[in-house]
Amino acid sequence: MQLKIGPGPESARTIKPKPKRGYWSRLGLDIWKEWDLYLLLVPGILFILLFKYTPMYGISIAFKDFNIFSGFADSPWVGWKHFEKLFTSPDFAQVFKNTVIISFLKIVILFPLPIVIALMLNEMRNMIFKRTVQTVIYLPHFLSWVIVGGLFMDLLSTNGGIVNKALAGMGMEPIAFFLDNSVFRSVLITSAGWKETGWSTIVYLAAFTTIDPMLYEAAKMDGAGRWKQLWHITLPGIAPIIVLMFILRLGSVLEAGTEQILVMYNPVVYQVSDVIGTYVYRRGLGSQDYSFSTAVGLFEAVISFTLVIAGNAASRKYLQRGIW
Amino acid sequence: MEANQALEGLPAPRGTMKTTFSEKCFTIFNYIFFILLGLTTLLPFVNLLAKSLSSESAVISGRVGLLPVGLQLETYQYVLQDSMFLNSLKVSIALTVVGTVCSLFLTTLTAYPLSKVRLRGRKGLLLIFVFTMLFSGGLIPTYLLMQNLNLVNSFPVLFLPAMVNVYNMLIIKNYFEGLPEELEESAKLDGAGNIRILASVMLPLSLPVLATIGLFFAVAFWNDYFSAMIYISDPAIKPMQLYLKELLVSSSGDFLKDNVDAAINTTPQSIQASSILLATIPILLVYPFLQKYFVKGVLVGSIKG
Amino acid sequence: MIFKMKTSAVLTAILSFALVLSGCGGGGGTSEPSAVEPSGGTTNASSEGTNGGDNSGKPDLRMIMQYGLFDPKTEYVAKYIEERTGFHVDYELLPAENADEKLNLMVSSKENYDIAKLNAAQFYNLASAGALEPMDELLEAHGNYIKQSIKPESFASATIDGKIYGIPETGAGVSIGEELVVRQDWLDELGLSIPTNRDELYTVLKTIKEKKNVIPLTMSKDSIYGDIATTFGVYTDWKEVDGKLVHRAEQPEMKEYIAYMSKLYKEGLLDTETPLNTAQESIEKFSGGNAAMYKLAWWNAGSTIAALQKNFPEAKTSIIPYLKGPDGKAVVGAKANTTWYIGILKSSKNKEAAMDFLNAKLEPETFKGIALGQEGVHYEVKDDKYYPILPIFNDQLNNASSFMTGVDEEKYPIYWQARVRKDPVLQAHFEAFQKNAEGLIVVDPMSTAPPIEAVSKNLLKLTTLLDDNVLQFISGAKPIEQYDPFLAQWRAEGGADMVAAANEWFQSTK
Repeated sequence: MQLKIGPGPESARTIKPKPKRGYWSRLGLDIWKEWDLYLLLVPGILFILLFKYTPMYGISIAFKDFNIFSGFADSPWVGWKHFEKLFTSPDFAQVFKNTVIISFLKIVILFPLPIVIALMLNEMRNMIFKRTVQTVIYLPHFLSWVIVGGLFMDLLSTNGGIVNKALAGMGMEPIAFFLDNSVFRSVLITSAGWKETGWSTIVYLAAFTTIDPMLYEAAKMDGAGRWKQLWHITLPGIAPIIVLMFILRLGSVLEAGTEQILVMYNPVVYQVSDVIGTYVYRRGLGSQDYSFSTAVGLFEAVISFTLVIAGNAASRKYLQRGIW
Repeated sequence: MEANQALEGLPAPRGTMKTTFSEKCFTIFNYIFFILLGLTTLLPFVNLLAKSLSSESAVISGRVGLLPVGLQLETYQYVLQDSMFLNSLKVSIALTVVGTVCSLFLTTLTAYPLSKVRLRGRKGLLLIFVFTMLFSGGLIPTYLLMQNLNLVNSFPVLFLPAMVNVYNMLIIKNYFEGLPEELEESAKLDGAGNIRILASVMLPLSLPVLATIGLFFAVAFWNDYFSAMIYISDPAIKPMQLYLKELLVSSSGDFLKDNVDAAINTTPQSIQASSILLATIPILLVYPFLQKYFVKGVLVGSIKG
Repeated sequence: MIFKMKTSAVLTAILSFALVLSGCGGGGGTSEPSAVEPSGGTTNASSEGTNGGDNSGKPDLRMIMQYGLFDPKTEYVAKYIEERTGFHVDYELLPAENADEKLNLMVSSKENYDIAKLNAAQFYNLASAGALEPMDELLEAHGNYIKQSIKPESFASATIDGKIYGIPETGAGVSIGEELVVRQDWLDELGLSIPTNRDELYTVLKTIKEKKNVIPLTMSKDSIYGDIATTFGVYTDWKEVDGKLVHRAEQPEMKEYIAYMSKLYKEGLLDTETPLNTAQESIEKFSGGNAAMYKLAWWNAGSTIAALQKNFPEAKTSIIPYLKGPDGKAVVGAKANTTWYIGILKSSKNKEAAMDFLNAKLEPETFKGIALGQEGVHYEVKDDKYYPILPIFNDQLNNASSFMTGVDEEKYPIYWQARVRKDPVLQAHFEAFQKNAEGLIVVDPMSTAPPIEAVSKNLLKLTTLLDDNVLQFISGAKPIEQYDPFLAQWRAEGGADMVAAANEWFQSTK
């Protein structure tokens, strides 16, 4: 069964015969014809210019020795100094590696999870059960990392934690989850999944509503079972939002979960869990080094932006849709 | 609304189709899985509730599991009489309502034209928007901007800068792109302008995504403490999460190091637990209420209708 | 190519279009906020000024305070201060987190604050950035009570390049915070006596481990030195050795201490979760009957002991007197640092008034009122000691210390003890700790140092680096052989500069 759900933005309109005019006059003509469409954009653009682009000059801090009390004009330019400091610091390679590994694991394991859960929920018939489950599994999103971290420490403690009690019951050695370099990353991934998966399903649950129920009816006529319906109707139906979410997720590859890790890690597992965010935090303690932290932020942003652009291009090429 | 006739359980096979064995297994697995998952996510809240109702001695020595030990209600009495708590609750409710309504309005407004391929400069504009998701000028120039706009220590600073959220805008735009084009075309034939099409054709069909994004905004405003921490020092307009954050931070080891006077006056853990619960429950009530907008088949019949 | 150029052309056009719009109508999108005016300094206060009576002519002041969980507007102490000094002050609290960042924003954005209460790092930061007013002359002209109350040695800690930039607040004086506490009922049961040195300690811990199967000694990651480290000669951040200042990271004894603790850890005598434990978690283990020994802080003693006895009515605890070193002597390290500095901001328009205000707060009767409230209402005197009257003392004076701007260095340590007498268990521990430490205290020689750049800049970072590594060595995550490479890193990351700068100052004091 061939399905095409939602026109890709590019396929939308056949190109009208273009009179030979310059870009500006064509834009002017378009605005003249559909002034109301362009008008809708104005407030949003104004807001973003005012609140996001006006302060953009702050990026220059990364290339200066910024002193907040002297201000922007009086802080000297220093070129790439702060970037060099980052790349040449002895632990950078390890920290960068940790960031990429943790982030990669989080994407590979935790990105598909809400989709799977949403699909499973979608198959539930009992509405009361379904809604209750939805409401319950999104609860942890509302707990701060301090609380979630404490909770996992309790659960996984070697001193009366329930998991180690269970292991002991099965005759196994206790595992010091928080102090063992070989398992600590799994603790990070598991707790992040537990906290955010339920919340992340919501956007997919909303996407299910756009799927035309007639398609299912038609599929049933053709004798397609639930698996086939899921594979050929439901999944393609939410494909656009999956693609969007994935591209956006690429934008935070170098943010491997600083807040979470700061709460949960400890010196014993720095080796596997120290990421850029936590490293910069510890190195910057007490020193108010705005320039260095801005430089790190800029480095992360450039990589993320590149990934988003590349992700978008790839998605347009292979899936015929993207953010733009 | 017509859409309601298409009920949510639609993918369910009707009548003649027989459920196969593997499908049955799948259903059973589903139930078990979700019951277990639901329990793991629910238990921490039960634990918080039990702590908030237990005596401080029991909480300190870690004896409170799922049931209160040494039952008491004074913590709630205390928190609910605390004027700072109550005031911050009011601020948070006001912020969430005002912020969500304004943001949803502005973000939807922005998303609609950007969902139209015929919009000239669309790609460039989208790039401009996406750029701000990754690059930002940082705290210092933003603070100076707020100061110049006279927004520091004022209520609007808590939602104005967050009103256009690119992430949410992209989700709405994505949804609009999925709506059938025929709708727009037939409305145009009836002589409707873009604004009218958006208001009376598109929006009614977009309730699921509007509910979703509304929820996202509401939760974001409710949970935000950072902008309040930076811009607000007047206790009269401190939102709940900032209050909660400070309650927890001011009892943490880092804060108390070398600060004996603060160490003598730490907040009991049972009061912390009850404050966390009281600060979380209002926003938890939003989602069940919104679920009714997550109606399947919202588009059924809309094309011809 | 062509397409790209077009895109950028559109971009530019729209940007400039919108810039023009936002430039001339910048208020357009944001007209509403200006309606909600922040409570800006001078305008609204005149209306309130009438009730105080004598604050005509006195300008309103704005003061930045450290974080506290209260609303300064409704605090009893704030009202009391306004009444006594005749100054109306708008207080603004720094947040509990990111306080330094917020402070920098507030001060650098040239809002007109007058006074700021700062911690040492913040003080150094602002003073060296030129944001604080040198106050020697102001003190001379308007600071008679301040000069009466605060010793010149303390002022030395606020002096940079010969000028005083702040009023130092030393707090309650030198006091000892923590001491090992042990389950006496278990010692009795096992026929053990209280250990007096680290060898005896080892035997006691070992016996407890074998016989009771509990954690013999629990420790929190935030407090990894103390009673045991002192027996090795590691007791303060800085120590004078042969006329030179040595940081504890560089003391050779540090390695011995780590080796001893590492042995305890390996044998399960020290809580294996030490790198994870916060004080709260250690207390949970101790009061829950899972640990036999813990270095308890007196301010936690009240709730901890109460919880323990509620759980185990037969439980008894003893305080272990400070352990003796191999030479048979016990030592207790202490800091006598200036805790807070009160600066007058350079941007203030009311510098003299600010100094008048700070001075008036140290007028002896006023100061006593801030510290203790009113006799018969908030406190009473028994056997020459001040006792709080509860609950009114808690309700109205709990946050009094936040409002202080310098203390009477003679009297405040005495007044302050009223705060310890809120709870008999807490009081008993406080008094026992101080009594045990009598005559044993060695004060950190850097306590009286003025702010030094290389120290202020690096201290927090290097302390974290050291403590992280000590935990790694103790827990065996890193072998002790790695200590020297670590030390080299510590020195390279600012440790060497810090030690050199500290010694430069130290030599100059001789």
